[in-house]
Amino acid sequence: MLTELLQGTDAGGFLLIQDSACLSGRHLLRSFINAALNREEAVHVLGFEVGEEELKDGLKGSPIQRLHFHNAYTDPLGWTDNPTFTVHQFCLEELTRLVKQTSHPKPATLVIDSLSWILRHHSPPAVCKTLQQLRKGGAVRAIIALLHADMHQRGTVGSVCQLATSVVTVAPGMKGDEAVAKITKRSKSGKVMQDEEIFSIKEDLTVAVQSRPSHLGPKQTDPEEQETDPTANLTFNLRLSDTEREAKEKLSLPFVFSKEKKTALLHSGPGSGRILYEPDANDDYDQEDPDDDLDV
Amino acid sequence: MAAPMSSAGKPSAERSPFNTTSFQKKTRSRLISIPGTRPSVQNGQLLVSTGVTSLDYLLGGGLAVGTVLLIEEDRYDSYSRMILKYFLAEGVVCRHELFVAAAHDNPDDILQELPAPILDDVAIHKPVEQPRLSCEPQDSLDAMKIAWRYQNLPKVQSALASSSRFGHYYDVSKTMEPEIRQAAKCHRFYLPEHPTQSSPTHSTMLQSYSALLKSLQEVIHREGFEVAAPMSKSRNILRIGLHSLGSVLWGDDLCCHDNPSNSHALTTFLYGLRALLRSSLSVAVVTVPSHLIQDRALMGSITRLCDNAIALESFKGSERETNPLYKDYHGLLYVRQVPHLNCLASKLPDHKDLAFKLKRKQFTIERLHLPPDLSETVSRVSRGELAGAATVTSACGSGTSGNKHLDF
Repeated sequence: MLTELLQGTDAGGFLLIQDSACLSGRHLLRSFINAALNREEAVHVLGFEVGEEELKDGLKGSPIQRLHFHNAYTDPLGWTDNPTFTVHQFCLEELTRLVKQTSHPKPATLVIDSLSWILRHHSPPAVCKTLQQLRKGGAVRAIIALLHADMHQRGTVGSVCQLATSVVTVAPGMKGDEAVAKITKRSKSGKVMQDEEIFSIKEDLTVAVQSRPSHLGPKQTDPEEQETDPTANLTFNLRLSDTEREAKEKLSLPFVFSKEKKTALLHSGPGSGRILYEPDANDDYDQEDPDDDLDV
Repeated sequence: MAAPMSSAGKPSAERSPFNTTSFQKKTRSRLISIPGTRPSVQNGQLLVSTGVTSLDYLLGGGLAVGTVLLIEEDRYDSYSRMILKYFLAEGVVCRHELFVAAAHDNPDDILQELPAPILDDVAIHKPVEQPRLSCEPQDSLDAMKIAWRYQNLPKVQSALASSSRFGHYYDVSKTMEPEIRQAAKCHRFYLPEHPTQSSPTHSTMLQSYSALLKSLQEVIHREGFEVAAPMSKSRNILRIGLHSLGSVLWGDDLCCHDNPSNSHALTTFLYGLRALLRSSLSVAVVTVPSHLIQDRALMGSITRLCDNAIALESFKGSERETNPLYKDYHGLLYVRQVPHLNCLASKLPDHKDLAFKLKRKQFTIERLHLPPDLSETVSRVSRGELAGAATVTSACGSGTSGNKHLDF
């Protein structure tokens, strides 16, 4: 499922990459940026955590002109006189203006590195409202954000995940350069798909998906025990030959009725004892019937 | 497929035992008779169907008019949303009026996804094994040779249902026809369309909730749903569906923080909502993402403020998905609260372990029962370990209760 996500999100999609202190999700984020650039899309990056050179490291070639980096790394809170991008500019009007500045035929993809930074300076309801407005607005085609799950309370992480259409949680894998990705994808019809894959990122920022991880650990792997045949190794014979089996089936047991009697006994239940009542004109209805409000 | 059933008075042998007889009920003219409602057997309250017949049975026959049903959402909000859609679809079929409020999706999107009602067969509930009155008795008799008298009895009666045909059935794979849907009057409240003023008010309720409450009050007053309104016009019921209250998009940080700054916003709203409902002919279904609310005491007070409360837990994504015990079901259902309206005690459901399954034509809620374990080698995992254990249950199950053969 990771390759499908890399190939493109639907319009209005919100992809969230969750990482932790054990493994950084920034490499996967850069792979997503690379894939978006190769798809001839314009990418706007709000960089709060790393500088421009570090983010662009490894991205080569002409697509890099479609990458617009908004530097929020040097001065995110606006302490100097002319900051490039501050965290207070994270609202619908500013972001729409920012994205529309670069004229490009297709709507752009917005990459946020990282959402944790913004959540520390704005309240979660405000951030989620802005994200939802961006999704529905149409100025931005898709949003990809990085979130450090261990920096926030569980409720905050859960609330942001509820907004997202796809969530990729990265964790370190068994070997050095491998990582495990748990992917949850919500389709428009409400169906939820989940997957777990091992992947590694190569030098040119392409992702190689290896395989499903085998579950080591306390999952149950009971070997099927061969059922021992209880009729073997006895001094007497408990098995039946074919003729003996036929004779056994033909034997009529006592208290076994013939088919006709069985049907008569079985199906007589519903048929007997029914009262068919058609009220005629001579019947008078009791006006004071106390049971007439029962509807059982 | 059965032919459309004619009215009562058909004394043929093919009728199921749940049908009416030829006795006609005399209707009293003093009671308000609103289509889609019926009086409760237990306490005389006017009941409305939730759209899911098994849920009606759990709630004591239906949802009483003037009460609130709280649904605690499952993790991905799939099944709670489904129940909300059933509720609204039932309103369309019974010709009630609808009020839908949402912050995440447009209410129009929710209304377009309503399931299509199955209108040709009028909700004949079949028992698990219907008595076979077919004209070929041979194949049915061959099923059991020795215990043939038990053939026609149903297997374990796990499906819950009441005997009267009160609710309707819906086909989830199809959406409701636009003609049917547009015949019902729908009021919408989409939060982004109501911009909140930035001036802080001194009330404990958030701007979004007070706007919603005001809108509800205005609709109830304008359309004449108040109980005190003049009885001259024909009365109808207003069905209110509030999607994902308390979530982040309503502006509430109840789900984000462990100690929310305005922890009384949602509870104040629910109090006001219940007051509004008690004085009007309306029913509300509210869904809350309770799995994100960390403060359990607050969740408890939210549950107490609503009359009925159920919680859904879906197996998707948890380790219970691979548990063979749960393979037939999609999730577990917990009944948190049943109301006692005008009476001292309420009828609690008989069974506490309930599981639900969303089939194409029915949302069934069944009693979860362990099938008999006939094999010697498989160790039976006890229910206590399943319910509480956070780790994979089979580790504790097979390790401790050993599955060694006893050799003599």
